[in-house]
Amino acid sequence: MSGNIPQHAQERLKGLRSSLHSTGVFTSDFSVNEFLLVRKAGFEPIGLCVGSCVYHVGIQYGAWGKNQEMDVLSKAMYHARELAMSRMRAEAAAMGADGIVGVKLTIKRMEWDEHLLEFIAIGTGVVHGEGHKGFRAHDGGPFTSDLSGQDFWSLLHAGYRPVEMVMGSCVYHVAHRGVLSGLGTVGRNVELENFTAAMYEAREIAMERMQYEAAAAKAEGVVGVEIHEGSHGWQSHVIEFFAIGTAVLPLTEEIAPEKIADPIMVLSVND
Amino acid sequence: MGLFDFLKGKTPEQQAAEQQSLRRQADILMSLRGGRVPTGALERLTAAGQGRTPWMATLTPAELRIVRSHGLKPIATVSATCWLHYGWSWTLGHAQGWEQALQRLADEARACGANAVLDVKMRTIPVGVENSMDFTLIGTAVKLENMPPANDPVIATVPALEFVKLLEADVVPTGIAIGAHYEWLRDWSGYAANPSVWFNAEAAQLSNLWNDVRHRAHANLRESARPRGNGVLAHLNFSQMFEVEREQGEMKIKEYLARYIVVATTVQARRGTPLPHDFQMVVDMRAPTPLTGRAPHHESYATNEQSGAI
Repeated sequence: MSGNIPQHAQERLKGLRSSLHSTGVFTSDFSVNEFLLVRKAGFEPIGLCVGSCVYHVGIQYGAWGKNQEMDVLSKAMYHARELAMSRMRAEAAAMGADGIVGVKLTIKRMEWDEHLLEFIAIGTGVVHGEGHKGFRAHDGGPFTSDLSGQDFWSLLHAGYRPVEMVMGSCVYHVAHRGVLSGLGTVGRNVELENFTAAMYEAREIAMERMQYEAAAAKAEGVVGVEIHEGSHGWQSHVIEFFAIGTAVLPLTEEIAPEKIADPIMVLSVND
Repeated sequence: MGLFDFLKGKTPEQQAAEQQSLRRQADILMSLRGGRVPTGALERLTAAGQGRTPWMATLTPAELRIVRSHGLKPIATVSATCWLHYGWSWTLGHAQGWEQALQRLADEARACGANAVLDVKMRTIPVGVENSMDFTLIGTAVKLENMPPANDPVIATVPALEFVKLLEADVVPTGIAIGAHYEWLRDWSGYAANPSVWFNAEAAQLSNLWNDVRHRAHANLRESARPRGNGVLAHLNFSQMFEVEREQGEMKIKEYLARYIVVATTVQARRGTPLPHDFQMVVDMRAPTPLTGRAPHHESYATNEQSGAI
């Protein structure tokens, strides 16, 4: 790191305020590293984009002894997230953003009402520094991505650009075991095949839905896929499988593999 | 010290110490009311600023190295507190409390002739005195060699390393901005939270309430940031919603309170200034690995963090 502090920064440290920034104030939820790397990638933050949705989730009971998708709950979880995300995206579009970086999607339960869930999507809208519009999603609106600023830089340097955050949700009721079925397994390790099957089916449904979204966004692939398993205050055998990731496309000029720099290995001597 | 010493009355030393403490507290009170740095702190800071006493920094040795290599010199640890009672509004009290503490911190920084305060930490003691909270800021005042003291020192919530990284990118972290807003919704219809009993439906009234509160809080954040810089890096989003039932004549009416606080570091960034450094991708060989058994790859054994590797 060189010891140079640029002129403009020095002036501010002297206590001089510059009047250069009549353009307005950007807001972001970036960390220092994220901010620096997003700028290094050629983008500038313009504003925090938020979308929220308070959703009343309908009631559905799973049959006691049956593996089944709880489609009412699945739809609720999906629809509410979709609303929150599209509102966030609309906000970004309104401020003229080319994309949203570092989207965080959270769900909160209201303590005072078990049927109410609050969905929040928050991210930082960015614009390309030189006004390049090629980074927008296929519909001309801003791209969305849950990648951090650092990941965003890395992705561009791997030759890809983010297109859209894609997700799939499946709320599933895992069958209870019959009373008699327990008798045959006394003293033996046995696989509980219907439990296994339930996990498989639910996970597959979630992933398929996410993949379908990626295809609809005309993406080449999805990075940073995560599969969450969670329960939002439902009965004990009801689980949500939620797949989420960022759909990506190659940059207009695909970077040849040999041009992508190899990472350097470092061994930190810090604790 | 004997068991019955308290019967003997106070020694002259103890009496003197008590007197001094009383005088000091009175001074602190009067100074803060008058918008001045308390005399004791002022003397300490002035002495440190003139180099008559040793400097005092919250920096680690590694941070000291990076600060020195950029021509910065630590002066003193500066701090400020505002213990605020929420007589009027909890949500807006946060903005007020931090703002007050920020001004007092800047006063201390000026008193020791600093150009900047770095590594500023926002703290609160969790004692929970009813309806009140302390807003405390602690940081290290630094000066740039061969530069006159600033009448408007920057307050940086980032640690020394990040401070220097930002400066090199022509970005100056300048202070703290708070965006806070709350609103009540009175639910005359009674359906705000349950638009439908059985089916999926958005609770649109509550969604709108949230959207309004968030937008206003973010707008406030922008306004609060404007005097200090041209952007913010946010480090905290806090939100809560409550349901309260109120008697309204014969009826019971539900009210909803949504409150939202966002705390951010303001920066003054020059748009389009290229970063002088090349970034290289490195693989940190000390990064968490599944083989230690502690990484999230091993969620199945999350409760068993004591045991070793595979």
